[in-house]
Amino acid sequence: MKLSFKKNKILIIVVVVILLVFLLNVFQKEVRSLFYSFSAPIQKVLWGAGDSTSDFFQGIVRVKTLKQESDELKLENQELLSQVVALKNLKKENETLRQALDLGLQEDFKLALAQLIGKDISQDFILIDKGAKDAVTEDMPVITQQRVLIGRISEVYEGFSKVMLISHKESSFDAKVDNISGVIRGQGNFRILFDLILREENLSQGDIVVTSVLGRIFPEGLLVGRIKQIKRSDVEPFQQAEIEPFFDISQIETLFIILDF
Amino acid sequence: MLKKILISIIVFYFLVLIQTSFLVHFTIFDAVPNIVLILVVVWNILEKRKNHLGVINALIGGFFLDIFSNRFIGFYVLILVGLAIFIKLIFKRYVRIPFIDKI
Repeated sequence: MKLSFKKNKILIIVVVVILLVFLLNVFQKEVRSLFYSFSAPIQKVLWGAGDSTSDFFQGIVRVKTLKQESDELKLENQELLSQVVALKNLKKENETLRQALDLGLQEDFKLALAQLIGKDISQDFILIDKGAKDAVTEDMPVITQQRVLIGRISEVYEGFSKVMLISHKESSFDAKVDNISGVIRGQGNFRILFDLILREENLSQGDIVVTSVLGRIFPEGLLVGRIKQIKRSDVEPFQQAEIEPFFDISQIETLFIILDF
Repeated sequence: MLKKILISIIVFYFLVLIQTSFLVHFTIFDAVPNIVLILVVVWNILEKRKNHLGVINALIGGFFLDIFSNRFIGFYVLILVGLAIFIKLIFKRYVRIPFIDKI
């Protein structure tokens, strides 16, 4: 009798828990939105504290390599300066041509500023403090101030949104290096792969990958990353390249959502 | 017991917030330490055999991890509760640590 009562009690608890989980999943958007709304202020403080603390410790750990990095950056800066001069000349020429052809300049993106408040511990997702009430909808691109592509909005709540990073396993979009087109595929854990590049194309390490307008998922020319390693095989029709993303989530605080492009 | 559960709810809520917003800046080999999982495991190992707060803690911790993750609600609850029950069973049947029973 006692054993049967105990068994019934366990059964009732199991049924209640299953029902509760089912109900929570049905209303998961509302439940999560509620938790995010009262957690956001605390998360913002914690994110800021974590950012500055990690900066401090990284500074101590990286003192030795900073000198070398600084020298490399100076060299890169000089190269970039010369490129800037060349590009300025091209821009001037372009403007003159546009005026001659009576073409309007492309409008800038319509942007919304968002703050990063959390990151999924196991997947390539982040949480930002802008949602449906700020006219954010699914699939809108998310970038940094430096036009570096972060990902796209995957879930929208009232005052919050989840962003699927470009490194997420389900993320794929068209990209290019100069005129070489390919597809960027997320590999998970902040790794991305530049795939489906024809074998004849000449890629080199350090090339910069930008978004292409082909897939119409992202606007053209957003920075994706730098080629780290090229994988070529004689039997495969395509070559692949490992990409080092330009973004570092732990260093980002503010982001921009492209509302219209 | 109710007081202990209430304290657990507050503690695990803040632990999950710390994990998702503070600890993400401190990765070890590209992984973020899961302090909720660590606490649940340690609690269930060190808890007296007859007590069940470890399993309830696993349920609370799992629920908050689910809320702040992108998986369906119940994913971490299942993993943590399963793990807690597994640890309890193993320690009840096969492991004897003398000092734990005295805690």
